[in-house]
Amino acid sequence: MKGRILFLSLLILFECLSCRNSANKSGSFVFPEADSVPIGEAEKLSSEAIADISRNIASPVEIANLLQIINVPFSPDYLASSLDPNKQVTAFGKALSLGILGADLGFLNIYEKTGSSINILSSIGKLAEGISVGQFFNFEAIKRLSLNKSNLDSLLFLSVDSYSQIDKYLRDNDRGHLSALMIIGVWIEGQYLATQVVKQYPDKRLKERIGEQKIILNDLILLATPFCDRDKEFNELCKNLLEIKEKYKDIRITYTLGDPLSVEKDGALVITQTESSNVEMTEDQLSGVIEIISRIRNKLILSN
Amino acid sequence: MKKYLITLLFLFGTGVLLPGQSMDKQVSNCVMNTGSGAKYLKDFRVQLGEAPNPVDLRYRANISLWKNTKYRFTMCNYDESKGKLILSIKDEMNNVVLSSFDQKTGKIFPSIDFICNKTGIYQLNYDFINGQQGSGVGVVSMLK
Repeated sequence: MKGRILFLSLLILFECLSCRNSANKSGSFVFPEADSVPIGEAEKLSSEAIADISRNIASPVEIANLLQIINVPFSPDYLASSLDPNKQVTAFGKALSLGILGADLGFLNIYEKTGSSINILSSIGKLAEGISVGQFFNFEAIKRLSLNKSNLDSLLFLSVDSYSQIDKYLRDNDRGHLSALMIIGVWIEGQYLATQVVKQYPDKRLKERIGEQKIILNDLILLATPFCDRDKEFNELCKNLLEIKEKYKDIRITYTLGDPLSVEKDGALVITQTESSNVEMTEDQLSGVIEIISRIRNKLILSN
Repeated sequence: MKKYLITLLFLFGTGVLLPGQSMDKQVSNCVMNTGSGAKYLKDFRVQLGEAPNPVDLRYRANISLWKNTKYRFTMCNYDESKGKLILSIKDEMNNVVLSSFDQKTGKIFPSIDFICNKTGIYQLNYDFINGQQGSGVGVVSMLK
């Protein structure tokens, strides 16, 4: 009888453990009061709406891929190397930095500069622990894949999956403001990367990608708005996003209509879109975007 | 007592007690099978019961797709699925841009390559063919 009870107890214990993330860290699940958002505030944007916005942000992997297509060589100068996770004292700074370094990690992964990513991985791990989401960041597995360059897809999957799990966990636990900060951090760093590169490599496709961010910017502002009055740091960030919006005000995106073309090739379907989008942006407007992104991003990595 | 512990270790060792990990494995298997040169971007894990009256595809999610990018959409079905996972993508004007199910021939494509020339927010619509019950994953990757 005793054995049966012990067996059932162990079974329940293992079931509970198996429901949690497979990462082997055992961080606390109790969060400080100051980290929680009042329910009414969090409800202004539903969890699903935030998830949608998160998916709409151009992945840093997509930007890095475009840089590779236009033959831009890797440069560590674009990375936020001066960002010290030990100096991030607020949850705001930690979450925003987590986003910034996530974008850098995507850049390093695509360029397969995985040896250099170990430092960034370590910083990401510290920042994630700092906002009690370290259990979702599978540091050891990502590090192992980084050092073993054979499987880029596994590395990309694990990196993105860790971030997605953190993002979902934060949203599901009334800490949507930290999820929003992470998403904004990813976007700002991705934009910084693209705008710094375009100064040296003024490729039309890259310029277009920078101009097209106008589509996403409104969503980002929507994401941040419920939290703008939360504290001074958030208020400042909201002002920064509005400054960026102002620079995008006169950039236009036009569309040309067309029907998609389908071709079956070796049993696979290939669709080419003939409808197209076109960005109308002057060099002055582009310079304005480059300047504002650089100023805000550099301020964020130094002050946070 | 010993037999209970052996049973427990067996269940733990075979993964019966780790359903989350098993699902992750099926997702990662799908990611690994998107083809050479495809770089993983996102995945959508779809789990649906049987639709009483199948009309529209039921699982919906928005995604931004960018001009000058070639995407690959791969659909994988888990072993327990009754139907095959299909995908249809609509643009902001609600026009169908692509579908992995050819209504004329009944053919289902397990993957589609899409050369995007219009940046925008698109709606991904997933379901299992004829509204059947199933679980699977849709992987979005990028081709160089």
